[in-house]
Amino acid sequence: MPPRALFVLPLSVHTPPSDASADTSPKRASLPELIDLLRPSFGRYRWQLVGGFVALIIVDFLQLVIPRVLKHGVDGLADSSISHASLLGLAALIVAIAIAVAGLRFVWRYLIIGFSRLLEQNLRNRIFSHLLRMDAPFFEKHTPGDLMAHSSNDLAAVQMACGMGMVAAADALVMSLATIAFMLHIHVQLTLLALLPMPFLAWFTRSLSGRLHHRFNTVQEQFSLLTEFSRSTVVSIRLIKAYTMELFQTDRFDRLGRRYVRSNLGVAYIQGLITPIATLAGNLGMLIILLVGGRLVIAGTLTMGDFVAFISYLAMLVWPMMAIGWVANIVQRGLTSLNRIHHLLGCRATLPDIADNGEPPLDHPSFSLRGLHFAYAPGLSPALVDIDLKIGPGIHGITGRTGSGKSTICRLLARLYPVADGQLFFGGRDVNALPLSYVRNHIAYVGQEPVLFSDTIAANIALGRPEATEQEIIAAAASAAIDEEIRELPDGYASLIGERGVKLSGGQRQRLALARALLCDRPVLVIDDGLSAVDVATEHEVFAGLRQRFAGKTVLIVSNRIKMLSLTDRIIVLDEGRIACTGGHEELLAASSLYRSMYEKQMRPQAEEAL
Amino acid sequence: MRNFGYDEDKRGGSLSDFRIWGRILRYSIHHWLALAGAVTLSLFITGGTLTLPTLLQQGIDGFITAGNLEDTARLAGLTRTSLWYGLLVLLVFATTFVQTVLLEWIGQSIMHRIRQDLFTHILRLDLQFFSTHPTGRLVTRLTNDIQNMHEMFTSVMVTLFNELVRMLGILILLYLMNVKLALLLTIFVPISALVTTLFARLARACFRAIRSQLVLLNNFLQEAITGMAILQLFSREEKSRREFEDLSRGYLERTLSQIRLFGTFMPITEFMSSLATAMILWYGGGEILQSRLSLGELVAFISYMRLFFQPLRELSQKYSIVQSAMASAERIFQLLDTASRIADPARPLAKPATVRGELHFDRIRFGYNPQTPVIHDLSLTLRPGQAVALVGTTGSGKTTLVNLLLRFYEAQSGTITIDGLDISHLALADLRSMVGVVLQDVLILQDSLLANIVMNSGRSRKDVESILSRTGMNRFVRRLPHGLDTMIGEGGHELSSGEKQLLAFARVLCRDPAVLVLDEATAAIDTESENILEEALDDSFRGRTSLVIAHRLSTIRRADHIIAMQHGRIVQQGSHDELMATGGYYADLVAMDRSNGNGEDTASSRLFGP
Ligand SMILES: Nc1ncnc2c1ncn2[C@@H]1O[C@H](COP(=O)(O)OP(=O)(O)OP(=O)(O)O)[C@@H](O)[C@H]1O
Ligand SMILES: Nc1ncnc2c1ncn2[C@@H]1O[C@H](COP(=O)(O)OP(=O)(O)OP(=O)(O)O)[C@@H](O)[C@H]1O
Ligand SMILES: [Mg+2]
Ligand SMILES: [Mg+2]
Repeated sequence: MPPRALFVLPLSVHTPPSDASADTSPKRASLPELIDLLRPSFGRYRWQLVGGFVALIIVDFLQLVIPRVLKHGVDGLADSSISHASLLGLAALIVAIAIAVAGLRFVWRYLIIGFSRLLEQNLRNRIFSHLLRMDAPFFEKHTPGDLMAHSSNDLAAVQMACGMGMVAAADALVMSLATIAFMLHIHVQLTLLALLPMPFLAWFTRSLSGRLHHRFNTVQEQFSLLTEFSRSTVVSIRLIKAYTMELFQTDRFDRLGRRYVRSNLGVAYIQGLITPIATLAGNLGMLIILLVGGRLVIAGTLTMGDFVAFISYLAMLVWPMMAIGWVANIVQRGLTSLNRIHHLLGCRATLPDIADNGEPPLDHPSFSLRGLHFAYAPGLSPALVDIDLKIGPGIHGITGRTGSGKSTICRLLARLYPVADGQLFFGGRDVNALPLSYVRNHIAYVGQEPVLFSDTIAANIALGRPEATEQEIIAAAASAAIDEEIRELPDGYASLIGERGVKLSGGQRQRLALARALLCDRPVLVIDDGLSAVDVATEHEVFAGLRQRFAGKTVLIVSNRIKMLSLTDRIIVLDEGRIACTGGHEELLAASSLYRSMYEKQMRPQAEEAL
Repeated sequence: MRNFGYDEDKRGGSLSDFRIWGRILRYSIHHWLALAGAVTLSLFITGGTLTLPTLLQQGIDGFITAGNLEDTARLAGLTRTSLWYGLLVLLVFATTFVQTVLLEWIGQSIMHRIRQDLFTHILRLDLQFFSTHPTGRLVTRLTNDIQNMHEMFTSVMVTLFNELVRMLGILILLYLMNVKLALLLTIFVPISALVTTLFARLARACFRAIRSQLVLLNNFLQEAITGMAILQLFSREEKSRREFEDLSRGYLERTLSQIRLFGTFMPITEFMSSLATAMILWYGGGEILQSRLSLGELVAFISYMRLFFQPLRELSQKYSIVQSAMASAERIFQLLDTASRIADPARPLAKPATVRGELHFDRIRFGYNPQTPVIHDLSLTLRPGQAVALVGTTGSGKTTLVNLLLRFYEAQSGTITIDGLDISHLALADLRSMVGVVLQDVLILQDSLLANIVMNSGRSRKDVESILSRTGMNRFVRRLPHGLDTMIGEGGHELSSGEKQLLAFARVLCRDPAVLVLDEATAAIDTESENILEEALDDSFRGRTSLVIAHRLSTIRRADHIIAMQHGRIVQQGSHDELMATGGYYADLVAMDRSNGNGEDTASSRLFGP
């Protein structure tokens, strides 16, 4: 019995792979670069913004009017020069202004905050369009959780900065400028003295905000990790339950969560300094006025009235100062997130991006691989070495040991990974000179692990041809030998299959993926071990159908079943990324030991007697 | 709008605010001391901020304008007051810092606790739940929704208390000053309560709509990201972009309607404040004209009244945070209240010390949807130590049997026993540790290869290395950039499908199950590697009961007993020789598999009918 002690291994909770970690902590982009990201939205909605800010400023102004009206009434009352009627008039005026203020507030909120939402939507759509253009190496580096965190957390931070952040900044700016102007009007030196702490405030905020940026980054990264961990746990729930790993996972989640808490506290330490520092600066100004201004009054160089007015203006500055602290925070957070988004949008696909020029598709396309050499990443041992191969019309089988590079060939043909120049040719032309979609549009692809979407069966089959008729869909399903099973389902073709097709059996998922490819009716069919979970009889039926349907076309089938391979026109045997042998069934039986041993295990009836 | 067929949160219904607050408070109770500390600090800060003007006042009245004092005394007094003033300013600063950090700590700790509870709870839910709830939604609950609630703890809980205290204090002060005017002002209390309640209801509905749209958006995104290669290969980019933009527009519209709602309600407090000012001016002015009130009283009253509306404004501003947080809290608690359909029995039977591994399915009837049964009255016995193979057409219910054995699902009728013990009377963890299973879909955790193999079995690196060499896996491990420590899973090194299956085998070899279940475990593995694996299995699990599901007939050749399934029923069983002798489904399969012909042989025509 193995020891049953749990958690004895010091498991690495998420040390992200070294190359990815360099990636998650993006370099700080320059401000103009970041602003460039927002420019389209600002340009497009500039009038909306102008309108919003005008409303905001009018509100600020009107708010200053109400005390004047009040003062007018009080003065009137003081010298008893006011009547009941004019009192009522003043009260009505206040109400009227209040109504205008409320209305204008609605206006600026709708215009400015609405703008921030429009901007958010614009960025979100841009991120998505960008993702649509990314290739497999990109998605291997960026986990879904990470990408999702970008589109939720980071966008929210940017939206906040461009909405409430901008409003508070504008408000604070207008209020403080107006106040400072009034103060300057009273006493210039005193004003300068009162504002003495401000440069200090600016310097302090600036030096802290660098650190804040760094810590926000950490928080966002931790959030991404948390998201990815939750996601992958939910996706792997069967494994976790089958191996009773619930406690184990909870424990790891706990550790990640604690780290997240810690990094948030790291932010709080700085935030706790930045937010009240503005108030501190305001209050210190007040202190200077009390000390210096008081002396001036005592010395008789400043009138008492001016002194009091000065103090009340300074008090009015405290709120904008506080707002500045808050704005600095929000903006910092927004910039950090914008930087992450900038970094994401700056990622380039490794595949060449050539615009589709509408060239008509070939009828009899062929691939030729010439001395093809491929590694998934620089530094990794190559997955394919020196492959020379011509894939033209006919049925080609590929076989070979696990990890020998069968799927890699299929992926390269489908242009999912980049290849070096002069190694892969399509219709006689180097693929690197052809648009991706041009090559891909010739290929109907069935992957080794079927990828399905949480939609109806019909929609999944019609993925590549949304305009397909019901008859066509049914015909494709019938060719994949799944039509009958679909009809037996309560909702038939309208049945929902759940996420990744969880409501289907393994073989049903594979055949659905096959039906999807068959519906596309493209000249090349690539089946990467796409029938491994299907029983012999069904496989046979499907294959017979394929042979008829694809007569004269190109079919590439990866398989480990001799029965299947023996029915192909030519078999390619791979070994550790190299072509070990090619030829027909009989030829290989003579020439390839790998193939022969497969044959012996799978075909010879005596084999079991020998055991 | 598309909802992907998931029931959009109908199950829980809506929780009342009262219940939600109750539960939030229950979570906060663990931190009551820190919370009390934060409230005290906050009262101190408020007190300090209010004292500062008083000090100023003192400096002015006591020294600056005190003409009766000597200049030196005035200057000294002024300096002293300034010193106190400066000290208080620094103190307030320091306190604010401590309070911010303290609140963050409280909020984060509570969130961490809720997150852990939720995570634990989700892991306990049954698989039926997972097949009807999209991943994106669960992830949103665990991350964004909790994040959303956090705001409430840092900025709201304490402010709420603080502001209420302030409002009450000012109201009392106003009553002391002038009862009639104060009564006039009190009218606004029920009005604002009414407005706030109405607003709360509307705002909550708004946030709910926003959050459910966000979930749809996230779901779509997550599916698109994980299936991007397929989308591209099938030229779906344009269509996906349009679908995403539709979802995105839906989200925008909902947020815009939230802005409209807030735009309408948020200025209301301010408006009421101005209205009150106007009323007091008009009514109080009238009183003055009739000499029933002094001007000084009116001015003082008006200035204090402004103070009264300040906390109200503060509260209404925080209200948006509260409502958003409440919408999230509601969803979180609803999820926490969702009971698992499959749970540990109240009093589980003890796990037997040694398990012989006798497995018995007795008249099992099951359907994922009870109306459409997938397994029909199936009975099946595996004797201890027997190696049983299960073959059958795809979709005939083989994996379903494994699901039932592991109690991922519960049969509608019939029982399954291990060594005579009904599995529904065993603790789930005990049951699942008795059965070692290699699932049809290999799932990889985001971790190193070593951790993925060991998982929670407690095996050492050495053990793993020896397992790898016995299974012939070391050949592939050697090729990996960091060997056993290579990170695999999302964001890590990608393995080929066959390599993943080898990994799944290594996992089960790390354990010591009484019953071994292999569901298409070698479908993507070449025959040579399969041979090596079989030997390793033989070594480790000789004499254990095993159930092997396979389509490749060469895989099941070693089975003592073969069971053939079709449409949820056992159609044939017996040893290979017996089945070959009697003919029928199995014999036809074998014949077809071995025939070298081109598919026109008799076996296939018999299998598919004339
Ligand atoms: N989670 C689920 N919800 C609803 N129906 C399901 C679910 N899982 C499987 N089914 C259905 O139950 C039937 C039996 O599925 P099962 O996975 O047991 O088949 P299988 O024999 O393992 O097939 P395969 O050889 O293709 O893996 C299938 O028709 C399938 O569509
Ligand atoms: N995305 C990837 N990044 C890095 N290495 C990879 C990636 N995909 C595959 N590999 C490695 O490249 C080698 C070839 O993989 P490939 O998927 O082509 O094998 P295969 O022949 O299809 O095997 P199988 O029969 O198991 O499907 C394997 O060693 C695998 O670990
Ligand atoms: Mg492969
Ligand atoms: Mg199955």
